Amino acid sequence: MARVVILGAGISGHTAALHLRRMLPKSHQVTVVSPNSKWNWIPSNIWVGVGKMTTEQVTFPLAPIYRRKGIEFVQALATVIHPEGNAAHDKPFVTVRSTAEGSAGELLELEYDYLINATGPKLNFAATPGLGPDGHTVSVCTAGHAVEAAAHLRDVITKMKNGAEQTLVVGVGHGTCTCEGAAFEYVFNVEHELRQAGVRDKANLVYLTNEHELGDFGVGGMTFAMGDGTMSSQMWTESLFAERQVKAILQSHVEKIEPGVIYYEQLDGSKSTLNFDFAMLLPPFRGADLKAYDRAEADITDRIFAPSGFMKVDADYNVKPMEEWSAEDWPKTYQSVAYANVFSVGIAFAPPHPMSVPRKSPNGTVITPAPPRTGMPSGIMGKTVAITIAAQIKRGSNSPLETASMARMGAACIASAGTGITRGTAAAMTLYPVVPDYKAFPETGRSLADTHGEIGLAAHWIKALLHYLFIYKAKAKPGWFLIPE
Amino acid sequence: MSEPQVPQATYKASSREIGARSNLFVQAFRFLVINLKMIKMIRKGHH
Repeated sequence: MARVVILGAGISGHTAALHLRRMLPKSHQVTVVSPNSKWNWIPSNIWVGVGKMTTEQVTFPLAPIYRRKGIEFVQALATVIHPEGNAAHDKPFVTVRSTAEGSAGELLELEYDYLINATGPKLNFAATPGLGPDGHTVSVCTAGHAVEAAAHLRDVITKMKNGAEQTLVVGVGHGTCTCEGAAFEYVFNVEHELRQAGVRDKANLVYLTNEHELGDFGVGGMTFAMGDGTMSSQMWTESLFAERQVKAILQSHVEKIEPGVIYYEQLDGSKSTLNFDFAMLLPPFRGADLKAYDRAEADITDRIFAPSGFMKVDADYNVKPMEEWSAEDWPKTYQSVAYANVFSVGIAFAPPHPMSVPRKSPNGTVITPAPPRTGMPSGIMGKTVAITIAAQIKRGSNSPLETASMARMGAACIASAGTGITRGTAAAMTLYPVVPDYKAFPETGRSLADTHGEIGLAAHWIKALLHYLFIYKAKAKPGWFLIPE
Repeated sequence: MSEPQVPQATYKASSREIGARSNLFVQAFRFLVINLKMIKMIRKGHH
């Protein structure tokens, strides 16, 4: 009997768990460790953040699903990996600290044959003083945060209805943030809500971002085929910002936040402040604070993890100038560099470099979006690693590794710009490949036939459809595996 | 405090284009088109 332990139950971890359970005979054990008792469809948190959905609509308890599927669920936070075992354990194991009611704080040691690190990001609010729900801004990173954001938004809308003018800032709270797409979605959903509430004229709506130009989205921007020609994602996005009268501050690194004031530096080295009444700024991400020890209990964290806390996998981590970046730098199998039975998927793996042009201010401040690896790519990685592990368990550890490089993977991204069955809007983007490949596509790095952008009500319908479809899939209801990642 | 500017649009969608974004007939057709594009994307590099 083999045991696969999966750390994390987000999109990649949960996908890996369900596929492994489907692929492996019941004699093998699949264990999921997650500090959260509920699964969260994070892309819909922006709708919770404007009061259009409840937490119940974007989350569900994991335990009943795992019980039904025959997956062991341990509600705990992984703290230490022992990939060689130790004096007390012949097999590798992971130490976890329970977060379940009644046993919170208890330590458990879970032996494994295969380990998948799908811990997602640590929301690093601490990187910017004053950032986040414990500071002076709100967030939509979790359903709980989004509920808080919605309450604050309601307050400023009430003030505007009473005649006050308010400044609302939405964006990213650090020069190295990722997920600009989520900030984009939230700013346009807020704009939509302000119009619906009849207070748009009272609002000064500002988008604060580390992107060098609008439409970068952390993927270095895109070029869309449009009619007989092409259009850059920059032009496309600027057009939307101008139509909706959303102001933008680009190339920014937020240094600190005090009550009602954001201090930020821009790429030219200039430093400015921005007063606000409401601010939703996303935090930068870092890896979960996992440590690793060898059999002799020596600290080997640096061998397994990058300084960012993300796990090193089969990528090319040699530091090189951007001109030498290649699609081949990106991982294909997500296998750990140090241990063949350890894999890392989703946000938890260390990317070799950004996709956007790396830039620093004259003061040495890095202002470069980190590469996104959420959503569709995360799910594909989870399934890929599940296929690899299932094959190795069934046919031996020499079975070939399944591959799914982000440089050979397409993605579809639907960014909401306001909800409503007839009044909703969203931006639908497809891109192939996710990581630009200038060898295969010398002109733009991506296939023009497959890279497309469109704004409209239809995209909102798709976003709403995906919400229900992916929650159905995550609940492992009949035929769930037929729904692609 | 610096005063941010509304981005200067290098491309301005026409009023016809903006109207089409909420036209139910046009959008029903675009719903099918976008879904087909997504299915094509899923088939590329997917398992």
